[in-house]
Amino acid sequence: MSTAPRTVIITGGSRGLGAGIVQSFLDSGDRVASCSRSETDQTRKWAEEFPDRFFFMEADIADRPQCTAFVKEVLARWKSVDILVNNAGVARDGIHALFSDEDTDTVIDLNLKATFHISKQIVRNMLAHGGGSIVNISSITGLTGYRGLAVYGASKAGLDGFTRALAREVGSRKITVNSIASGYLRTEMSHGLDEDQLNQIVRRTPAGRLGEPDDIARAVQFLVDEKNNWITGQTIVIDGGLTC
Amino acid sequence: MTENEASIIKLIEELLERMDKAEGVTVTLDARLHGEDGLGLDSLDTAELSATLEDELGSDPFAEGLMPETVAEIVAFYDAKESVSA
Ligand SMILES: NC(=O)c1ccc[n+]([C@@H]2O[C@H](COP(=O)([O-])OP(=O)(O)OC[C@H]3O[C@@H](n4cnc5c(N)ncnc54)[C@H](OP(=O)(O)O)[C@@H]3O)[C@@H](O)[C@H]2O)c1
Repeated sequence: MSTAPRTVIITGGSRGLGAGIVQSFLDSGDRVASCSRSETDQTRKWAEEFPDRFFFMEADIADRPQCTAFVKEVLARWKSVDILVNNAGVARDGIHALFSDEDTDTVIDLNLKATFHISKQIVRNMLAHGGGSIVNISSITGLTGYRGLAVYGASKAGLDGFTRALAREVGSRKITVNSIASGYLRTEMSHGLDEDQLNQIVRRTPAGRLGEPDDIARAVQFLVDEKNNWITGQTIVIDGGLTC
Repeated sequence: MTENEASIIKLIEELLERMDKAEGVTVTLDARLHGEDGLGLDSLDTAELSATLEDELGSDPFAEGLMPETVAEIVAFYDAKESVSA
């Protein structure tokens, strides 16, 4: 590492894709703060291994006061944030004609409202400190649609719209905002898909496999690299070619 | 000039400097924040002012729903806070 460590917030870093992104930024020598509703063996291990540059707090970010408390803790420690990765997200599947209101609320409260709330707080910090980058973890289902994922897909399409508008608002202040539309990954979230669906996805994927968290983490690192600050407001598809 | 007046004027001067908007502008208590005849802050500049005030002073009038129009109104917000906590 030639440059000073950056301060990075990654929401939902306790497992799955978020954990892969946390690992990637710990590997690149940065300071990482993360939260999720419960800690895991992995977050405990990081906290022991990197007491000075890994901070974890249990917080449900769909609850605004808890989300605000998390941000306050991070800022009390490290003062400013350079990178925000909005990764925490939830999928509920089911045909829309039978979809429950509770499931709609769960998906929208986390995937959109929590992302709006934490982004507002962090953008304020970035405005006061001269810049930064935000990456929103979106999904190809926001671009193509997938049966059974109407609300989830809408939340991700909404997220991409948020990315574009925010990028325009803050572009002049050295803040970039991008989305990564991820294809299907081998994480707990895709356990909602059955074996047949997963096999069909693999068959239709030019790269011939499901994605790994690291496939996405590398793209995040690329987008937040200061040298790449001419890339903003975009939704970058990383899906092994599935939607090409 | 009170301590609050001096520190807020300095904070706004530094902010204008950073935004390249300091030239030919004098920050006085009755200066208006917006418009050609004032400090000329646009909405994004105002957001930056709001965030910087919060960052340095722990709270800010914009985030609490007030929309101060002049430097003096910002100062008044912090004066009022102090008199409550005093
Ligand atoms: N897996 C895929 O195939 C796929 C494809 C495209 C996009 N994505 C997107 O990638 C992101 C990560 O997905 P994933 O597959 O890694 O999911 P995952 O394995 O279910 O992990 C989700 C993470 O978010 C945390 N989380 C959930 N609800 C939270 C809340 N209310 N507050 C704070 N943290 C919360 C979870 O911890 P707790 O449960 O302890 O809170 C966990 O750390 C999501 O935005 C998802 O939409 C995934």
